[in-house]
Amino acid sequence: MSVNAWLKAQRPLADRSLVSAIWLNTANGLLAINQAWALAVILDAVIFKDADLTEVRSWLWGLLALFATRALIVWHAERAAFQAAASVRVKLRDQVYRHLQRLGPAYLSGQQSGALIETLTKGIDDLEGYYARFVPAMALVMILPPAILVAVMPMDWLSGLIMLITAPLIPLFMILIGSGAEARNRQQWQRLVRLGAHFLDVIQGLTTLKLFGASRREIEILARISDEYRHSTMQVLRIAFLSSAVLEFFASVGIALVAVLIGFRLYDLALPVPDWIPIPKLTYLQGLFVLMLAPEFYAPLRHLGTQYHARLGAVAAAEQLIQILDTPPSQINPGKEPLAATPPFGVRFDEVSFSYGPGREVLKGLSLEIPPGQCIALIGPSGAGKTTVINLLLGFLVPTRGRILIGWQSLAELDLDDWRRHLAWVPQQPRLFQGTIADNIRLGRPEADLATVRAAARRARADAFIETLPLGYDSPVGERGTGLSGGQIQRIALARAFVRDAPLVILDEPTANLDPESERLVQEGIAELARDRTLLVIAHRLSTVRRADRILVLDQGRLIEQGTHDELIAAGGFYARMLAAQGPLQQGGCGG
Amino acid sequence: MNELRPLWRLFRPYRGWMLFGTLVALLTLLANVALMAAAGWFLTAMATAGAAGVTINYFTPAALIRGSAILRTVGRYGERLINHEATFRLIAGLRVWFYRHLEPLAPARLQQYHSGDLLSRIRADIDALDTLYVRVLIPLAVAGLSLLLFTGFLLFHHPVLALTGLGFWLLAGVGLPLWSQVRGREPGRRIAADEAALRAAVIDGVQGLAELGVYGAAEHQAQRIATLSRDLIAEQGRLSSDQGLTQAGVGLCANLSLWLLLWIAIPLVDDGRLMPPHLAMLALFTLASFESVAPLAPAFQMLGRTQAAARRLFAIVDTKPAVSEPSAPSPRPERFDIEFRDVSFTYPGASRPALSGIRLAVPQGGRVAVIGATGSGKSTLFNLLLRFWTPDAGSIHLGGYDILDFHGDDLRRSIAVVSQHTHLFAASIRENLRIAAPEASQEALESACRVAQIHDFIAGLPEGYDTWVGETGVRLSGGQGRRIAVARALLKDAPILLLDEPTEGLDADTERELMRALDTLMVGRTVLLITHRPAGLDWVDQVLVLDQGRELARGDVSVIPSALQTHLLPL
Repeated sequence: MSVNAWLKAQRPLADRSLVSAIWLNTANGLLAINQAWALAVILDAVIFKDADLTEVRSWLWGLLALFATRALIVWHAERAAFQAAASVRVKLRDQVYRHLQRLGPAYLSGQQSGALIETLTKGIDDLEGYYARFVPAMALVMILPPAILVAVMPMDWLSGLIMLITAPLIPLFMILIGSGAEARNRQQWQRLVRLGAHFLDVIQGLTTLKLFGASRREIEILARISDEYRHSTMQVLRIAFLSSAVLEFFASVGIALVAVLIGFRLYDLALPVPDWIPIPKLTYLQGLFVLMLAPEFYAPLRHLGTQYHARLGAVAAAEQLIQILDTPPSQINPGKEPLAATPPFGVRFDEVSFSYGPGREVLKGLSLEIPPGQCIALIGPSGAGKTTVINLLLGFLVPTRGRILIGWQSLAELDLDDWRRHLAWVPQQPRLFQGTIADNIRLGRPEADLATVRAAARRARADAFIETLPLGYDSPVGERGTGLSGGQIQRIALARAFVRDAPLVILDEPTANLDPESERLVQEGIAELARDRTLLVIAHRLSTVRRADRILVLDQGRLIEQGTHDELIAAGGFYARMLAAQGPLQQGGCGG
Repeated sequence: MNELRPLWRLFRPYRGWMLFGTLVALLTLLANVALMAAAGWFLTAMATAGAAGVTINYFTPAALIRGSAILRTVGRYGERLINHEATFRLIAGLRVWFYRHLEPLAPARLQQYHSGDLLSRIRADIDALDTLYVRVLIPLAVAGLSLLLFTGFLLFHHPVLALTGLGFWLLAGVGLPLWSQVRGREPGRRIAADEAALRAAVIDGVQGLAELGVYGAAEHQAQRIATLSRDLIAEQGRLSSDQGLTQAGVGLCANLSLWLLLWIAIPLVDDGRLMPPHLAMLALFTLASFESVAPLAPAFQMLGRTQAAARRLFAIVDTKPAVSEPSAPSPRPERFDIEFRDVSFTYPGASRPALSGIRLAVPQGGRVAVIGATGSGKSTLFNLLLRFWTPDAGSIHLGGYDILDFHGDDLRRSIAVVSQHTHLFAASIRENLRIAAPEASQEALESACRVAQIHDFIAGLPEGYDTWVGETGVRLSGGQGRRIAVARALLKDAPILLLDEPTEGLDADTERELMRALDTLMVGRTVLLITHRPAGLDWVDQVLVLDQGRELARGDVSVIPSALQTHLLPL
């Protein structure tokens, strides 16, 4: 769908407010016609009918009433316009976010989250320019000039003709100029983006520049690039400004022509036209009225010109939004059944294959078993498919072939929300959400009381450091857990898993970036978690998995070895070789 | 306005352009007003003359009307051209000035700002200052000058008219905007807070989607975002209503000014003290004149925002650098050993010292590893060695000379750094490499990349070394970025090498390849490595184990296990 069509299609989201805004603006415009008439009557009376103040008094009070009414209308039109855009923004933001949720993490991993966040916050706000400014302005252009023509034509078709001819010429020329500039714009655009980004790029990399002694050199480069930017942009703008010049030209010329021709006729000056064309005759009253309407005729077009920028911002945002909304959720899990198996349950992969696309097959007929109540370690080189196994279990991906069985049910048949209630997951870099530490630990069970939270933190070896914080469990955390070390974040994530009290826990590289002390504590927490639960641990570091009940070795999407640590060492296969390459091991692993 | 005074000084080179631009804008406005006023006069004069059968010279007023129309058109185009030209020059000047002042402050004084925050603040603030000229200065100047002229014009006809006219202009141009400003302060604050809260919730909702989904908290987050969205918009609605009121008020002022004019001028016409054409002229003049004060309400709003932006930018720029440059020329060391002598340092505002009494001697060609947990002070050693900060006590020596005797750039010429985070500039790979050696030939670049194990990858890209990388280009993985950093270090060919957790976050294969590249890099150089992993350090001559800024152990590799076992590292 084109951007324009899409923007139009969202209008129903604006409720009645948009229509209100348009009607109010129209009313304001029509009252302007009345105002012009009243003013013309007053001036005509005073100048040509020798009226004094008392005679025009009633008209003057009428004029005042018009002023007050118009002011009220303008105020409410503004409010309606805002409301219209506001309505669209609130609803659209909710729609787009929920769509993102349906698209799932699989979609998000392929995008730059920064851009998505910008789109959801500022981008949606930019739509205001379209619904609150552009649409009402556009509607006014459609309604008011014709209304004025209707008022003017019967009185003076000559002035009406002038207005009628100049008006369409404006958008015509603007489009001609615009399309001429379009091609050059597109060429320049990427260049301008790069030039424009240079300044911030240099600031971000200031330390790097300093390390290479290039930071002072950069001053001249910065000056030169800014100059180039100015030069390039001005070349583009020179043409763009012609558009507004055209608008100004026809509007000014139109008004001037109307004024001069009315003046000539009021003076009874013969106009240089052939006799057979009947020039309309005017009274002063009529002439003044038409003159005052002339700027009002062009005003909506001038106003539209100033709102064009607002539209551009909205169009850019809309393009981003359409991209998101048009992406269909690729992994649809149609299952609806609740999980029948009772904990502890085991999981079995039955000839599971998964590919991200043609030629990108990650799992090739993988069959493995995770027996209930055991601690299973999943290892293998990067790219072997470990993360894919996790994502399949978590329901983020759907196998292209084969089945995943929990008990006797296939994962594809299960209701995803119900299945996930039986899961806890500690990712490689757990995320702490805006809120307190307690809120974060409660993530999987919001109704849990503080005692439960504390108990979970104790078991996860996190309570000690939480107690040392000034606000304890009420300490605010957010985003990447600012102020907390990697190990501390990991342990809070473990506490989360404890509170969740799920029968199947999945841990992804739990000690990857930790220093020895943190690693030891996290290992202890994992050992506690492993009791009475089924645990699946992915690890890069062989030291992490030494004590697992079983080690599954994955390579190139296939299970190539399995067994306990001692069995695999004795077998002298892939595992044994990987171990030899690593170096001396430390304590730790599934069993503590 | 105080915040803007230094800015005014900054704009000095461009004052000519700014004056020119203001003048053209003023002329355009005057042409606009003249067009309507003259038309009103013309019509009425022609009508009265026609009715009375009197001849008048209609060429001049008709010419004035036509001239105003042309002037309005040309003026508009010229004004936009000139003012954009002026703006871009101002922008360029602003950026160069800001960078020049920011440069000596990095990275020490900028570390207190969370990186993303600093950048978005700078971007928003500089953008606000960019619009200062066009959206604030010009409307204010043009309004002020035109009001003077308009008042004079009205004075010419009748002093009372001038008074009422001026009164309404000031009400519409100053009174109403100020009222709107004052009323908008509280909502403005709340809006900023609401925007931040919404943004945080969206960030959580997008980046944390996976965990939210698994833990069943996704619906809650969606509702939270919707609620915050509604709150923000409600607050914005209040502000918008006030702005609408102001706009309506300005229009009302114009109309009331006209109304009052009629009450005053009509008796004058009846008495014969005012000519009828002048009545029409003054009426149309009044309505048209308010075009000069209409842009003042948004201008005042922008002024507030600009002052805040200027204040923040000056706060950054007015800081004193953390290190000062010596006056004498830098010494030229003949050997490249490093020595830390009883070095202590506390970051400003920190509760405990980052380093206490650290002693370390790294001989020329030596290889030393500094081991410790996060927060143990390892990175501080590097920061001090690179002269980004000055030690509170003790001294650091390079080749026998105190590093404080060196100019920062000269000192760093002898040191190359490979760290976890490699910043790639938005430029080609070639330019990114040339930072290290601006004169390097293509062969030199390629051979360095070959050693860094990255040449094949670059050659495999469709545009090879010309590939645009960085923010606006192709994204490289962590491992690839780090190998470019190694290539840079090779090109720089500095005698001292600092390695800051170079293999962190890489998988085993990439780590192996990187170590291979580093092995070649380290040949013949003095190497200082910081890491938190005590394993795999057989190639190191000496280690220093740090804990909370203090030395835990120092010696050869054998001291590590006992250091870790005997002392319980706190949480």
